[in-house]
Amino acid sequence: MKEAINDIILEVNNISYALREKNIIEDISFSLKKGDFYSVIGTNGSGKTTLLRCISNSIQPTKGNIRVNNKLINKYSPKILARYISVVSQHSEFLFDFSSFQVVMMGRIAYQKLLQTDSEQDLIIVEECMKKTSTWHLKDRSIKQLSGGEMQRVMIARALAQQTPLILLDEPVSSLDIHHQFDIMELLRKINHENNTTIVIILHDLTLALQYSDNILALKEGKLTYFGKTHEILTKDNIEDLFNIKAEIIDNKHIIAQKNEIL
Amino acid sequence: MRRKDIIIYILLTIVVLGLMILGLFLGSVDIRSFDENSLYIIKHLRLPRVIMSVLSGAGLAVCGAAYQAIFRNPLSDPYTLGISSGAALGASIAIVLGLDVFFFSIGGFAFLFALLTVWIIIRIASVGNRLHITTLLLAGISINFLIAAIISIIMVVNQDSMDKIIFWTMGSLSGSKFSDIAIVLPFVLIGIVIIRIYARELNALLTGNDTARSLGVNVEKTKKIILFFSTLMIGVIVSYCGVIGFVGLIVPHIIRLLVGSDNRKIIPFSIFGGIIFMLVADIISRVAIAPSELPIGSVTAVVGAPFFIYLLYNAKKKLNQ
Repeated sequence: MKEAINDIILEVNNISYALREKNIIEDISFSLKKGDFYSVIGTNGSGKTTLLRCISNSIQPTKGNIRVNNKLINKYSPKILARYISVVSQHSEFLFDFSSFQVVMMGRIAYQKLLQTDSEQDLIIVEECMKKTSTWHLKDRSIKQLSGGEMQRVMIARALAQQTPLILLDEPVSSLDIHHQFDIMELLRKINHENNTTIVIILHDLTLALQYSDNILALKEGKLTYFGKTHEILTKDNIEDLFNIKAEIIDNKHIIAQKNEIL
Repeated sequence: MRRKDIIIYILLTIVVLGLMILGLFLGSVDIRSFDENSLYIIKHLRLPRVIMSVLSGAGLAVCGAAYQAIFRNPLSDPYTLGISSGAALGASIAIVLGLDVFFFSIGGFAFLFALLTVWIIIRIASVGNRLHITTLLLAGISINFLIAAIISIIMVVNQDSMDKIIFWTMGSLSGSKFSDIAIVLPFVLIGIVIIRIYARELNALLTGNDTARSLGVNVEKTKKIILFFSTLMIGVIVSYCGVIGFVGLIVPHIIRLLVGSDNRKIIPFSIFGGIIFMLVADIISRVAIAPSELPIGSVTAVVGAPFFIYLLYNAKKKLNQ
């Protein structure tokens, strides 16, 4: 199978990340294709967040390298990299009051010069992104007063305002109720389809991973144990191997799991 | 700029000018007529003092706003973090060593020690790549203790420098001269301009280092630039006015309640807020127990320390919810 080189948006080559000489992630390699939807799964402590932080250049891998658009990630200035990759984290804490609008406008920093005021175009883009994520009616509300679901939609609006071809999300739905989990996943699918944006999302809920993603990155004890098409990876045996549970997959849509008694 | 903002700025300018004029006429000596004596007092004693209030008030308030953003801590202020005390120690050491004959040696020493203090509190409060908020404040307050002790020792050992050193620990604007203003003015001006240039980046920093980086902010560079220029301002202000605490705590806090958390607004409004606060404090220090004078640092602390306690109390309530 031949892949056009410009189809690949991000390439991870043999990266490891060690903390106090202990590898959190070890020798991971993969590449991400433009417009695909990836879910990252694995138990707590398997290295999912560390992997994501390496890809977003928040931390530097101790070994190996990462290329964005065929250029080493650490060769980018923060400003230029912020036009390629945006990040939505699990929790966003705001110690200071900002309106939702101001928070989304922060997504435009990567395009603004020092001292430059928010341009007409910035205002248009922010409005568009907030409408797309159904947060426009919250624009004057303080970010501190939003519910968990509203907050995550605002964070996604900010990522959209960065106009990046790649969005990384670290467990954006973990603290939400089931209704809002689907809301966010539908929104991400819409962004994925309409903007051809590559999505990489850490998920705990395997059913959501099965229903929404094209590809799965499965981590176990810091290693990338499985990587490929969702239906090929999320099998009964693999889930049992990854999580040490008994799993049943129904209609290729739902995963039912129970504790593995044979220990 | 919106029209509403322009009107507010004009009103604030009028208030500042009014207070400056008041500051020229109020004091231990009543100005009743414009005889030669009165004109001398106004021109050579009170005018430089009023201008120094303006410069130090603006500088301290903007530094407070900058530190609050850099440290992501609404209780930060050059004084509560021990940075002003560090500067005072540097200045005292320069005096004791007899270095004050060299141009800017006191200011330079004050700046170096202030910078050293910044480095120490960051080292103490860093957990991984995060700054622990309460530890940061504790570090600052402990440094205040330590420096107060060192300064007392220096004073006892060098009785003849005592008066000069007391001046640093309590703050005073009374000896201000036009030649001092010529030195303080450029530092305050440059510092404020640089901090204002980075106001948007400071907003992003308030959301956390990782987030700011992913938004495109060069986090390390921005922090270094802001810390350098704000600490330089503190060093210079402290070396000419002594330690004047809590201005940088109170002013940005009140401004934030009025205009929100956007530093692009907080910084210009804090300039005015700082100036007004300092002019009023200076007038109080002169008239409260006239013909004697209160040290200005004690006036700002009488207002500031209870305010700090109030903020701590509120923070505690929030944490317990």
